[in-house]
Amino acid sequence: MLALAWANLVHNKVRTGLSVLAVGIGIMLMLISSGLAGGSIAEVAQRMQSVDAELVVLPAQENIIFTSGAPFPEIYRRYIEKQADDRGPLAAAVIPVFFGQVHMGGQQQRLFGVDPAQMGLFLGSRRVLEGRAFDRAHAFAQRIADGAPRPPSVDEAGINAFLADGLELVIDDRLRRVGYYDEAAGRQVPYRIGDRIRVMGREFRIVGVVEAGVAGRVFAPLATLREIALAGEKKSSMFFVKLRPDVDPVLAADRLAAALGSAARVELKSAYGTLLRESFAQVNVYMNASSGLALVVCFLFILLTMYTMVLERTRETGVLKALGVAGADLLRLSVIEALLIALAGVAAGILIAFAAKWVLGVVRPLLTVELTTGRLLLAAAVGVCGGALSALYPGYRAARLDPAEALSYE
Amino acid sequence: MSDDLMIDVAGLYHTYRHAGVDEPVLHGVALRVRRGEFVTIMGPSGCGKTTLLNILGLMLPPTRAERLCVAGRQTLGLAERERARIRRTAIGFVFQRFNLLPTISARRNVALPLKIRGEPLDGQIEPLLERVGLAGLAHKKPGQLSVGQQQRVAIARALVGRPALLLADEPTGNLDSANAQAILSLLSAFHREWGQTILMITHNERLAAVADRVIHMRDGRFCE
Repeated sequence: MLALAWANLVHNKVRTGLSVLAVGIGIMLMLISSGLAGGSIAEVAQRMQSVDAELVVLPAQENIIFTSGAPFPEIYRRYIEKQADDRGPLAAAVIPVFFGQVHMGGQQQRLFGVDPAQMGLFLGSRRVLEGRAFDRAHAFAQRIADGAPRPPSVDEAGINAFLADGLELVIDDRLRRVGYYDEAAGRQVPYRIGDRIRVMGREFRIVGVVEAGVAGRVFAPLATLREIALAGEKKSSMFFVKLRPDVDPVLAADRLAAALGSAARVELKSAYGTLLRESFAQVNVYMNASSGLALVVCFLFILLTMYTMVLERTRETGVLKALGVAGADLLRLSVIEALLIALAGVAAGILIAFAAKWVLGVVRPLLTVELTTGRLLLAAAVGVCGGALSALYPGYRAARLDPAEALSYE
Repeated sequence: MSDDLMIDVAGLYHTYRHAGVDEPVLHGVALRVRRGEFVTIMGPSGCGKTTLLNILGLMLPPTRAERLCVAGRQTLGLAERERARIRRTAIGFVFQRFNLLPTISARRNVALPLKIRGEPLDGQIEPLLERVGLAGLAHKKPGQLSVGQQQRVAIARALVGRPALLLADEPTGNLDSANAQAILSLLSAFHREWGQTILMITHNERLAAVADRVIHMRDGRFCE
């Protein structure tokens, strides 16, 4: 049966090739869409894991993907710092973050407004590759803290002069390498120290490049972003909390949650990946539905191919029946042919997916496509099962053919 | 049914139904063929010869029959699975249009019945192909062979499993007279050596003469 199925497929090379390609494209779409969603989430979650803290304090009931604005006044920071047991405060450090947006590397990036003095908690063991990770003394923040008078009017030059030494960006090496399209050079060029980037209507300059893998791809001084967006009001988008080494994170999370009330939720940092996946759930449903639909179309293509082949081979089916082949064997022949197509399609799809991943890595280096063994096995299983199911109806038709009628088929 | 009979049919009727209209084809046919007998059936087109052959080959259940014994089995009411088993083990077919599988070689076409039976080839194919004069053409696909060669492959395929009954539906109908004579000689030779029962439909009086018995058919009835 296998030899006959193979011979039938080889006999119709073009049609077999097109069917294999159709399945391959469906499998590739499935792998790339799920790999892109999963890869991006995993990459963001991994970066957040790099922060030297155990807990995150987030706005309650807010999708963490789209967490924006600054719902937490400074009093929340103080509440967190106040939580203590008999050995002292639970938190060794409270790390406020203010989120902004910046267009860099050809796409929107989340801008992490952080206190330069706490930059070390974000860097961990990662090195500063070029420039500096802000000015530790941070004259601008100090000036604000000292109550320096703001410019008296909305005079642009005056505001810029006031902000000048606060308009700094630190980026990660991956974003630096992606760079931007330089119209004068006519090509993509990497970012360099001193490059100027517009953020929130002000011109920032890149002062440092750090190793990739830190929580954000772009950092700016917290005080600067607060000054521009909130007129200096000390609000935060979220907090990381670094606990005292002897404190149990789960107990501390419960304690903080109770203290902060219903406006905040306290999660273990390790749960961030799960929260991200939950936040993406709706998007994933759409993406899975899209790739599922693409696969259904591909399997309909196999069904159509098999159905056409069964119709074309009506006389041959009659011959096989005359020779005593049972209907079940004809059904099996059809399924074997479809499985061969599906297997070749799965192999082609996996190859195309790896090629697409490579192309995406070149064209959109900031995107992460994750092709895990689990996803590859799932794609193979879906491809093989779909192929077999697609052959059932044509195979059933072949099995049910009347041999005498089939032999007289023109 | 006597052990001596390969085919024992009585009161055989068949009616086709096209677009709600009944079209009777066989009208109470009765036929007895002894084991090892070579019988030809002659008759004009549309008289029911092929329908009779399809029924005897268990490819078409009759509309009605008093008795339908083939290859020693009463076959009335048998399920398709069982009829397929009898076709596989006891009946060989040769068709006017050869009906070889176009996607596989002559050798594989000939080997097909043994493969279907799940029997080993045991070097049976090459000698048989040599016997039908296709020794060097075993690897060719049907489309690469002449019509005469294709019919030789079809005969080899029908005989490879040494079926007790060979049904041939105008096996020379698509051949020129030289090829027709060669094919008929081949069938006669196999019949003599292997002793198969052969039931052959033909239009050709001269070819029919090689048979032990010639039956004439007209309007769905025998007129011996």
